[in-house]
Amino acid sequence: MKAYVEKLWVRRLVSLLVLAALWEVLARLGIINPFYAPAPSEILRVVFSLFAEGTILGHLQATFSAALAGLAIGLALGIVLGFAAALIPLLADILEPIMMLLNAIPRVILAPLFVIWLGIELPSKIALAVVLVAVLIFFAVYSGIRDVNQLLVDRVRTLGGGRLVLLREVYIPSVTAWVLGSLKVAVGFAFTGAVVGEFVAATRGLGYLLQFAQSTYNAALTMGLIFLIMAFVLVLFMGAEAVERRLLRWRYRGADQDAGRQLNHSLKGRS
Amino acid sequence: MLRVSDLALGYGREPVVEGVSLEVSEGRFVSLVGPSGSGKTSILRAVNGLLTPRAGHIELNGGAETLGFLFQDDALLPWRTARENVALGLRIRKLPKSKAHAEADAWLTRLGLEGLGERFPHELSGGQRKRVAIAQILALKPKLLLMDEPFAALDAIVRTRITQELLNWVEREHLSVLLVTHDLEEALTVSDTVYLLSQGPRARVQSSYEVSIPRPRDIIASRRHPSFAPLLEQLWKDLSDVVGSPQVEATR
Repeated sequence: MKAYVEKLWVRRLVSLLVLAALWEVLARLGIINPFYAPAPSEILRVVFSLFAEGTILGHLQATFSAALAGLAIGLALGIVLGFAAALIPLLADILEPIMMLLNAIPRVILAPLFVIWLGIELPSKIALAVVLVAVLIFFAVYSGIRDVNQLLVDRVRTLGGGRLVLLREVYIPSVTAWVLGSLKVAVGFAFTGAVVGEFVAATRGLGYLLQFAQSTYNAALTMGLIFLIMAFVLVLFMGAEAVERRLLRWRYRGADQDAGRQLNHSLKGRS
Repeated sequence: MLRVSDLALGYGREPVVEGVSLEVSEGRFVSLVGPSGSGKTSILRAVNGLLTPRAGHIELNGGAETLGFLFQDDALLPWRTARENVALGLRIRKLPKSKAHAEADAWLTRLGLEGLGERFPHELSGGQRKRVAIAQILALKPKLLLMDEPFAALDAIVRTRITQELLNWVEREHLSVLLVTHDLEEALTVSDTVYLLSQGPRARVQSSYEVSIPRPRDIIASRRHPSFAPLLEQLWKDLSDVVGSPQVEATR
């Protein structure tokens, strides 16, 4: 029993259950107004009925399509542009200020513009997710290449390696570490883009449903959808972490705090 | 093996060394000592082609393929296993993967790392990583080793042991070595010739010293050789004169 209590995930789960139980009791006693914060059991009932009636499936498909397409295109675009900017100074001069501007503003404000340009269907949602993800990944790749450990570059050069070997042995693995480090954030960004896009103007999707729930003052449905989106993002987040651990097994295998310090030293250190 | 004549190096507008001439004959162990900023590392980088000289000549018998560069840091690729790191240079030289890995395993065994080929650098101790770095270089069968304070970060016991092992290898294989070090005692125990550089900028060779301790050498016993103490004293005095103060950082 003690061993279980010592596990982090057990402590977190227990904390959440205690919080939910407290909320349930307070809502049932009328201390919390159910109009604003319905009891967790009511939220669960609403979510369950959405699945039981099958009405949510079309909305899930729309949101997942937009988020996953946005994630894939955003990753590809960010990687290509990041590499291009790092390797071609002229392109960096053009791209860096644009990306910095896009990074500085809350990019979701572009949602109405994408609706005007691309309509209220899927493309405008994908576009918003792409912009959110691509800017993040661009800086991960661009910084990853610019800050690559010069010592490793010198090492490969002194072993006789040319540009292709440097790319394969130093730049791509180094950038992969940076990109995978940003992948979990990118998953969240992709969902943000899809849901906010649907929230602004759409005919289906979790964001559309959320907007409907808000306009009808349906707190149970609103909260149910929020928890649902959180659950889906969490699952994808864990998937991204699994991919990171698989591809960066050199970082995680047998890693401890000292190893982490050595890794940082290896990646960022100077001779 | 290596002849450097009237070498001038710098970074941007800043000159580092000027008019440096030195020679490393075949099978000779040569050390470069001098104050910080005297351009010791820059000379090694120029010999290895990592830095373009502003003036002067670097003549190397056999070309760049005969060189092996041992950095101060182990400089291993963190995403490659010990075996893959050792095999890297061989793969760059177009050796098939299976042969390169077999060769790498043989070198790891020679350097006391048998069974550790699958480990990543962060799973090895500092001494083991340094041995992997040495294996990576020796696997390429260099004729001239360039070493930039390669063991400075190691603790005294590991450092002594690895230095002795490498010295044994160098003597057995008749390799030529150009070593950069801050440690005057280390320079005298391993070298045939020690060059002292003057204070930078525009550092040059101040003087050179021939070390007559017979080979093969034991780096502990060499310190008891009759010629060792007078040479160390002379080198100390000259280095202090170069820096202009007895408070030099050149000893450990």
